Parts: sequence; C-alpha cells; structure tokens
Amino acid sequence: MTARGLVQLEKIVKKHGSFEALKGIDIEIRPGEFFALLGPSGSGKSTTLRILAGLDAPTSGRILLDGKDVTGADARARDIAMVFQSYALYPHMTVAENIAFPLEMAKTPKAEIAPAVREAAAKVKIDHLLDRKPGQLSGGQQQRCALARAIVRKARLFLLDEPLSNLDAMLRLATRVELKKLQRSLGVTAVYVTHDQEEAMTLADRMAVFREGEICQIGRPADVFAAPNCIEVAAFIGSPPMNLLTTRSTAGGVLIGGRHVPVAASLEAGRAVVVGVRPSAVRFDPAGIPVTVEVVENLGDAAILDLTLDGTPLRARYDRFPLPREGETMAVSFAPEDIHLFDPTTGRRI
Amino acid sequence: MTKATTLDVPVGGRADPARMMEGRERRFAAALLAPAFIALMATTTFPLLHLGWTSLHRMDLAMPFMDGFVGLDNYRELLGDPRFWSALGVSLVYTFSTVILQVVLGLALALLVNGMKRGQALFRIVAILPVVLSPAVVGMVWRTFMLTPEFGVVDYLSMTAGLGSHNWLGDPSLALFSVVVIHTWQWTPFAFMVLLASLAALPEDIYEAARIDRASPWLCFVRITLPLLRPAIVMVIIMRTMVALTAFAAIFTVTGGGPGTATEILNLYAYRKSFTELSIGYGSALAVALLIFTLVITGVLFALRRAK
Ligand SMILES: Nc1ncnc2c1ncn2[C@@H]1O[C@H](COP(=O)(O)OP(=O)(O)OP(=O)(O)O)[C@@H](O)[C@H]1O
Ligand SMILES: [Mg+2]
Repeated sequence: MTARGLVQLEKIVKKHGSFEALKGIDIEIRPGEFFALLGPSGSGKSTTLRILAGLDAPTSGRILLDGKDVTGADARARDIAMVFQSYALYPHMTVAENIAFPLEMAKTPKAEIAPAVREAAAKVKIDHLLDRKPGQLSGGQQQRCALARAIVRKARLFLLDEPLSNLDAMLRLATRVELKKLQRSLGVTAVYVTHDQEEAMTLADRMAVFREGEICQIGRPADVFAAPNCIEVAAFIGSPPMNLLTTRSTAGGVLIGGRHVPVAASLEAGRAVVVGVRPSAVRFDPAGIPVTVEVVENLGDAAILDLTLDGTPLRARYDRFPLPREGETMAVSFAPEDIHLFDPTTGRRI
Repeated sequence: MTKATTLDVPVGGRADPARMMEGRERRFAAALLAPAFIALMATTTFPLLHLGWTSLHRMDLAMPFMDGFVGLDNYRELLGDPRFWSALGVSLVYTFSTVILQVVLGLALALLVNGMKRGQALFRIVAILPVVLSPAVVGMVWRTFMLTPEFGVVDYLSMTAGLGSHNWLGDPSLALFSVVVIHTWQWTPFAFMVLLASLAALPEDIYEAARIDRASPWLCFVRITLPLLRPAIVMVIIMRTMVALTAFAAIFTVTGGGPGTATEILNLYAYRKSFTELSIGYGSALAVALLIFTLVITGVLFALRRAK
C-alpha cells in the first residue's frame, strides 16, 4: 500500500475549440505528497484538476494513477475524493447525509456508516452540526462539511480546488494549518489548487507554477522562491513581488543606477539583462546607490518602502525604526548572492 | 368615479405630508382595485353562492310546478344515486391516471431534453402547441383524425401492428382509456415544460460531486434529482389534479360522457343533469359535491406538500 497515490500526467493538452487551456502539462506527484498547483486566474489549474479527477477528458495526453493508465476512465472508476471550489454539497441532505453519501455509494454496511461519519465530522470539528442542512451553515462550516465528505472514504487521491478561497482571513489561516495536519495524519496524496502563493508556500511539499496553460516551474516552495527559473515565476512568488529592473551587464556585474554592481554569475559585458531583487534583499547602506522614498507602507513591525532609483521604482522591506519620511533620500546596495538575472528576450533565468 | 375626483382636492398645509401621501395612495389604490374586485365578486363569489342556494331547491324545468325549497333533499338523493358514485369513480380514475401519466412522461421527456446539447429550443416550441389549443378543438381532432375506426391514425397504427381495428370511442371499455390518452397528450407538455425549467435550474456541480462519490446514474436520479425536483413535481400534481377533476370540454366533444356513462365524470354528470335533463336543483347539488371533492383533494395535496 505504500505506493498508493502516485500520479503521472503526461503531455496533457486541453482545447476548448481553438483555445488551448492546457498546452502539454507534465507532472509527477509522489505518494503521500502535498502538491500545489499555483498560478494566476485562468492559467489552467482547475482544468488540470478536473482532468485528473476524470470530470473532463483531455484532448490528448495520458493520466496514470499508481502506474495504471486511467485516461479513458470515468471519475467513478478512479477512487478519488475531491473538494470543490463551490463545495457542491447536496442541498437537500443534512450534513450527516452528505458525509455518508460516498460510503452509501460504496455499499458500506449500515452499521459502519454512522461511526465513520461521526469520526470524519469530528476531524474537521463539525460533529455538532450533523443535523443541519448546508443552507443553514456558514461558508467555513460548509467547507468543512465538503472536507469531511472527501475524507470519510479512504480514497487514494485527494483533490482540493481553492477550498479556502471563500473563507475570511482568520479562518483561512486556521484551516490551512488543520488541512496540513489532516493530510499528514491520513498520509494521503493531495493535490491542491490555489492562486494564493502564500497558501502554496506554507502547505505544499512541492508545487507547480502555472501560466497560461503551461507549467513554468516545479519544485519545493523554498527552491522556487530561492531560484525562480523565469521572470513570470519571479514576479508571481513572494509578497510583495520581486523588483525587476531592465539594465545592461558590465564585466562581472550589472549596471544599477549608473553604478557597477557585482553579481555571482559570470556574464559577458554589454548584454541586456533583467535584474531581480526581492524587497527583503534590498540593503540600506549609506555608501550605496542614492534612492528617494516615495511612499511608506507601515505594516506595524516593518514597512514596505516605495523608492525610486534613478527614475525606476523599487520596493524594499525596512524594519528599523523610526521609519524614514516620504521624500527623504536614502542609499541602498545589493549583495551579489541576492541578485537574480533573467534574459529579457526568453524570460529564462541566467 | 367620484372617489377619483377627491384626489385632486388640496388638503391644506397643516397635515403631515407623509401621512397625507400615504392616505392618498391608499385611496388611489382602492379606487384602482375596486372595479376588478367588484367584477371578481360578481363573476365568482356570487354565482357560487347562487349555486349553493339553488342546490337547496327543487328546480326542474320539465316540471316547474314542483319547484320549491327542499333543504338537503337533493344531497340525500345524491348519496343514494348509483350514477353519482359511478361518475365519482370515473372522475377518480380519470384524474389519477392522467396526472400520473403526465408527471411520468413529462419527467422522462424533460430528462431526455435536458441532456441534449442542441435543439432544446425546438422542443420547447413544439411542446407548447398542444397546450395552447382549445380542449374542444383537441377533442374534435382526436375524434375525427386520430380515432376514427379504419381511417384514424391511431386505428391505422393499431391495425398495422396487428392489434386489429377498434371502436375507440364507442366501446365502453376503450372509451375511458381514449379520453385519458387525449388529456395526457394535450397536457403532458405542461408538466414537461415546468419540470424542464426546474431541471435546468439544478446546480451542475453536485452532479460532478456525485460522480466523484461514485454514484451510478440511476442513484444520482433517485437520490439527487428526484428530491430536488420534488417541489416542482408536487406543484405540477396539484395544478393538474385540479384541472383534471374539473375537465369538461375534451370529453364533452369526444364522447359526451358516453357510451352510456363510461366516460361520464362528475362534471359531465352535473352538466347532463342540469341542461339535458333540466333538473337544475339536483345538478347544482352535484356541482357543489364536485366543488367540495376538489377542495378536499387539493387540501390533502397541499398538506402533503408542506409535510417534510
Ligand atoms: N468550457 C470552457 N470553454 C472555453 N474555455 C474554457 C472552458 N473552461 C475553461 N476555459 C478556459 O480555460 C482557461 C483555464 O481555466 P481554469 O478554470 O483552469 O483556470 P484556473 O487556473 O482554475 O483559474 P481560477 O483561479 O480563476 O479558478 C481559462 O482561460 C478559461 O477561460
Ligand atoms: Mg479554478
């Protein structure tokens, strides 16, 4: 049973008429992994999940579950549990009946259903709401009910489509932690769709970053954060996102604000490059490049400074108090290891 | 309309303007409502009361010298009248079978059409045709075009299928069957349209959830579609029952209640008694009995609708 939950998507293409929603996706998800599909709205995350679930058929490509080709198999045959973005609870059934439904369909003996339902409900802390109808639940409770319905049957794969997007910020944080614990305790493979990079960073073992029907990068969140492999990923991951400055290279460095800044990578001089620096990696150094403070966004324990460096905007995280005033002049510097370089024509990392 | 002219009279500056507006609006509303209300009273409530009053009289146009108040005699006679009980039975069979057929066929058609990707609009238009026809016209069409022995479409099909030619409307055992079919033909599209609209309004994602939960198509239907359609189905049953109980025109034109009393529903019996046999007092009692009967059944159906 150890290999249960291995997922392989091979060259999945999905067309809606002439529009290509997915342009050839390759993903391999290991058993027991928490895998996130991350990307902006409309990038094809839900499409991928629905194809994986068997709700939609791909135009071409193969889907393998535990090594077996299930491309032509219906959702009913795939032994998958799913939490829908809209929850999709059965409105005429109580919470208990909703959770019991997958068990009844699996012809579980009656005597085993009630305890299983109670156990699943207790895991997501809705065991006091079993007699309510979905219409009488709050958004968070409905989401928990959908979660309970998914975990009550021990499916080999657990799909979640933005399950937290309808919750308020507090509940989202709390549920996020619980979700991770739950997945760990069940030991089940989970595929999690989100457009919230923070959610993906905190929850996922690995993630795939989508953009316009393609995968830009697959890897551990920390690796993707540390070394985004293209401009799009760099701009998407991190909050606030990475600063991207178009400039030229010099011998062993790049030009920023008219000054030579050394970089770790070796570059031929005089080529056009995009320099990426995370706001948290901008160092304040009196001997550095002069910048003007335009706006100060105070976050309480730190601030985001909107600066202009030689006419181009630059955002920096600043955590020394007192904070600078708007209009003040400061100076910044960049460490070579903090500088990401991208090719402006291909968008790839250099 | 003297009421309307008072609206133009200025009421003076001392009254509270909001109150004044409200009073004016209410008077205006009453003035607008009055004609319709009076017309409604004159055409529904008054005839109903008059009917009840008449049913307490002996009123026989064939023997006008016997006319007079008889109290509940008509009702006493009715309870001992085998033709009344037979008509009641026919009414029940007619109502029960037509309503069941309409709901079952209408639901089946709605499920079929709802699953179609194209051509739904065409079906909706075709479906509305029988409904907008007058039942009398429908009756005539069926009597001449469809059911005539040897020449009618249905009889021709029956002969082709090897079932032989039948006197569809003249044979007492077939006549009731025929009028049930005619009513079902005309009104199934109504059930179809109502149920199709409700089906189309059901959320799609729960069917996807059911697929994920590995429910077979049949269980999806029984456990999800049927319960969610229940309000619409009950509504169709109530509306169609009320109409079927008081059906008249189609049967009247097709069989006139015959042969004998084979298709004589209560409504038709009341009509025949009043206007063929000219016993208006007894006919009124029959009509009141039908009214009570309809009210009781409707009440039961509404109670069932509220229950769970
Ligand atoms: N039935 C359809 N017909 C045509 N285009 C579709 C259809 N379904 C999805 N698309 C398109 O496919 C693309 C990917 O859609 P998808 O639902 O996978 O996006 P997503 O990444 O889940 O976005 P979101 O975060 O907004 O949910 C979108 O551009 C969408 O417009
Ligand atoms: Mg989506």
